[in-house]
Parts: sequence; structure tokens; C-alpha cells
Amino acid sequence: MIELERVGARAGGFELRDVSVVVPGHAWAIVLGPAGAGKTTLLETIAGARPISAGRLRLRGVDATRVAAERRGVGIVYQHGYLFPHLGVRENVRYGARDVAWADALTERFGAGALVEKPVRSLSGGERQVVALVRALAPRPDILLLDEPFAALDPRGRARVRRELHGLQRELGFTVMQVTHDFAEAGTVGDVALLMEGGRLVQAAPPDELFHRPATPAAAEFLGAENIYRGTVRTAGRGWPGGLDVLTFDGGAFTLSALGEMPGGAAHAVIRAEDVVLSSAHPTGSSARNALDGVVAEVELAGVVARVTVEVSGVPVVALVTAQAVRELGLVRGSRVTASIKATAVHLC
Amino acid sequence: MQAIPHRSRGAAAAGTATSALLIVALLGLPVIMLLLRGGAAGLRALASDAELRDAIVLTAATATAATAVTALLGTPLAWLLARRPSPLASAVNALLELPLLIPHPVAGIALLLTFGRATVAGGALARLGLAIVGSPLGVCLAMLFVAAPLYLSAAREAIARVDPRYELVARTLGDTPARAAWRVTRPLAQRGLVTAAVVMWARAVSEFGAIVILTYNPRVASVLSYDRFTTGGLDAAVPVAAALVLLAMVPLLTLRLLRGRDVEAR
Repeated sequence: MIELERVGARAGGFELRDVSVVVPGHAWAIVLGPAGAGKTTLLETIAGARPISAGRLRLRGVDATRVAAERRGVGIVYQHGYLFPHLGVRENVRYGARDVAWADALTERFGAGALVEKPVRSLSGGERQVVALVRALAPRPDILLLDEPFAALDPRGRARVRRELHGLQRELGFTVMQVTHDFAEAGTVGDVALLMEGGRLVQAAPPDELFHRPATPAAAEFLGAENIYRGTVRTAGRGWPGGLDVLTFDGGAFTLSALGEMPGGAAHAVIRAEDVVLSSAHPTGSSARNALDGVVAEVELAGVVARVTVEVSGVPVVALVTAQAVRELGLVRGSRVTASIKATAVHLC
Repeated sequence: MQAIPHRSRGAAAAGTATSALLIVALLGLPVIMLLLRGGAAGLRALASDAELRDAIVLTAATATAATAVTALLGTPLAWLLARRPSPLASAVNALLELPLLIPHPVAGIALLLTFGRATVAGGALARLGLAIVGSPLGVCLAMLFVAAPLYLSAAREAIARVDPRYELVARTLGDTPARAAWRVTRPLAQRGLVTAAVVMWARAVSEFGAIVILTYNPRVASVLSYDRFTTGGLDAAVPVAAALVLLAMVPLLTLRLLRGRDVEAR
């Protein structure tokens, strides 16, 4: 378990501020954020490279705020690998291992057995990452910190290493915190996703919730939400059993129905493109609470899917549909369509 | 963009060549003249002149000892200065570079004031059988004082060039900071550290001002050449001076060799 309580740390001119989060034991946490958000600094603070200037860090329930890096039981793998170039692959892998046989077995398991006699300088970027991962795992850390560890691997190699690492995590039960820029990876492997921005933790939630209910418009934009609108929220005053209200979002060009718990006032509406349904006629008898009539402004085909931009009273609404739907509806620039959005797909923040 | 006329380009090239030639001549000509005039005599003197031979041996030995002591004591300090930047580290850096800025006879006077026979430190060391004035130990100390800053500064730079993340990785693999520095940073900075030692050794070999004030005798090669010049004139000094130049070429060739290997390694 990794617990940060209002943690602050400095890395040169950069400052990590007021980070509070709990990553349960045996969980796989994904750290997301734009460049310079503080993702690596967060990992290095947990690893013990950056002195904690404020707050507390607990690892496995024990205060580790002032514990030296070598006594934290934390392994770290950087994108660059940082293999020791003056040592061979075998020496790198065995560097921190208490059990050499275990280190050698791991090397084989991750498909690096053929590399052990090679000098580090001769390895490719992907091979370096695999060896660096095995080296970090060899001392059996309780917590593994990964800073874009698979970025240099080809898709097949990445899938294999990820599969082995997942298997090993299930066997040994260590906690993982992984920085990645790959949203698909975040969605598939993460139990919890942390979104960093400007040295602060913006949001910590299960990946699905993070992507569909981002805390801020900036978070929504970073996470790839195509439709973000500024407007005003009014409550309809009809409370739902779950405590949610039916809200009306007035975006100027159009009004949306949404569900939420927020009070009235200025807000942003976030809608993911895959939640927008297009139809060639205004739907009747539909459960979708929002039906916006507009004109197709652009169709961008990308393989089997297409991004269709619909202008609704001069405001773009982007829908992600299949290429087949584009053909069947005959969507071209100038086509009149209706964009339908369920109230539950409109996220207000 | 306007093209540079051919004539202007030719003039610029001629100007660069002339200035380069001038500076090379200024730096190289005196050494070449010395070697032409006394190189062969210097080599002969090394075989026949016992006093010169002793001076060369003493010079090389004391310079080696001063360099070894500095490397032993100074490398951990260089690591601290490279890895733990702070106002105190900046102040220490400035203090360590001071000997480079003061005239070397002044450095000799400062050493005499600290380690002279009548001083507390000098007296205490003399009682332990470690007399500074008039001993090889004094020569060694003078060399260390004037040349160690070169080692410390270059070693600090060499260590700073090694990404500290190597050390962090080593620490997460169980190393203490000192062990990580020894097992990872030292080998990665090794070429830079060796270069720093060679530069310090070369500077120590050529030292005169501080040595001549602190301990005229036993005479190192630089003091002997000055002595021969004042007593026997230019002809007497040239073989000694030429032998000293030949000795100074050892680190120069070592450095070239190291750099050549560096290029090959890349």
C-alpha cells in the first residue's frame, strides 16, 4: 500500500504540492498527466530520491517519510532503463538480487535469457527496458514504480512483458504505480488512475470513472474528451434516489439535460465523442434526453471508425461512429443530422 | 539572405589562418626551441647527471604522492559537491578554487605561515617526524596546495556528468549512497577522474613558486633548473629545463591516449 498525505517535494525548480492519495496493496495504479505534470517526480519521491518537504508518506502502513531509498523496498524502472553500462546484462540483473537463481529465472521468464552475455551498450531500447524491469524485480520489491517502462517495446513484446508482469504481480502481490501516456493501457491494466497536472494530483479514481467523469475541463481535454462546453447549470429540483439531480445545462447555442450533484452556476459540460449517436432524422420515442439538430461540417475516416463533426447552432459537436454508419446514413459535408446524447453521458464539472 | 562575396570569404579565411598561426607559434615555439637546443643534452644529462636524475625522480614521486592523496581525500568531496548543491557547497567550491587565483609564491608564504618550523602545526608535525620545511613532504604539500583545486574541479564535473538516476536505481537495489557512488558513479566517471588526476599531476610537476618558498631543498626539477640558471647561466639550465619538458610530456601523451580511446569507444 502506498499512502501519500499532503506530500510536497522539490525537484530543481519544480515542486510537487499537496499530493494526497491511497493506492491499496496489490493494486495497479496508473499515473497520467501532460509533460511536466510531476509524474516522474511523484515516483522519485516515493522511491526516496526527492526529500519530502511537507506531508507524510506511508508504505505498507509504515511511515517512510524519512526512510532511506535503500530501505523502502521499492523498485523503480525508467523509460531509459538506466542499465549500468560498465556491467554486463547478467551483472545488471543480479545487482540487487539476494537470490541469484531467482534473478536468473526471472530473466528467462521475461524472455531476456539470450541477452545475458551481451554488453549493455549493444542492447536495443526495448531490450534495455526488459532488462531494467527484471533488474528491478530481482530483489523482490513490495512496490514497483514504472516510468513509461514499455515505451520502447514493439507491440508484441509489450503485450508479452505486460502479460508476464501481471502474472508475477498476481503471484507475488506487489503494488505497482505506472506512468504512461497510453490511455488504452490505462484503461486495461489500472485499478486506479491518478491524474497529475502542474505538480498537483487533480483526480484519483478508477480509470473508467476518470475518463467519463473528469474533475476539471483541463482534465477532460487531456483525457481526450472531444466535446467540452462552457455554460450555466440550473437544477430542476427533482432529486433522484441516488442523490443525483436532473440538471439543465445552458450552453448558449443549445441546452442539455444532465445528471449530477452540483449546485447551479457556471460549469462545463463534457461529452465523449463515442457517447454521441447520429441519426438522419429527429428521433421520436427515444430515451436519449438530448437531441440536437445540426449539419455535418466534417467527416474524418480513420479505418473502421469516423469522427463526424456536426455544427449545432454554430457550435461543433463531435461524434465517433463506425465507417459503416457513415455509409449507411450517407453522411457527407452538409448532411442534416440529429446528435442524440443520453443525460447520463453528459458530465458536468 | 545575402551571399558573402568570395573576396570577403577569402579575407576571413586568411585572417583566421594568420591568428591561428600566431597563437600556435607563441605557445609552441619556445618549447620547440628549448627541445632543439637542449633535448639531446637533456637526455644525456639524465644518464650522466645524478643530481638531475634525483630531482626528476623526486619531482615525479612527490607529484604522484600529492595526486594520490588528493584523489583519495578529494574524490568523496567532489562527489558531495556534485551531488549535494547548497550554499555551503558553493562556499566550499569558492574556497577550493582560491589557490588557483593567488600567485604561487604567495601560496608558499601562506604554507610557510601554517606549516613552518615555528608554527603550531609545523612544530607538531616535526615532533612526529614529519618535518614540512626542507623535506619531500613539504614539496608534496606545496604541490597539493596549488594543484589539488584542478583535480577537485575536474572530478566534480566528471561526477556531475553521470546522471544521478543511476545512483537512485542502485539505491533501490539496496546500495547505501556511498556504496552506490563506489559501485556505479565511480566507474562511470572513471575516465574523467583519471583525466583530472593527470592534469593535477602535470600541474604539480611544473610547480616552482610555492615549492621554492616552502622548501628549497631537496630540489625538484623546476627548482634545480632555476638554480642552474642563476649559478651557471642559460647553458647550464637548458638540459635540466629540457628534461623537465620531456617529463611534462608524459601526462600530455597520456591524455591524448585517453581521448583517443574515448573517440574509439564512441
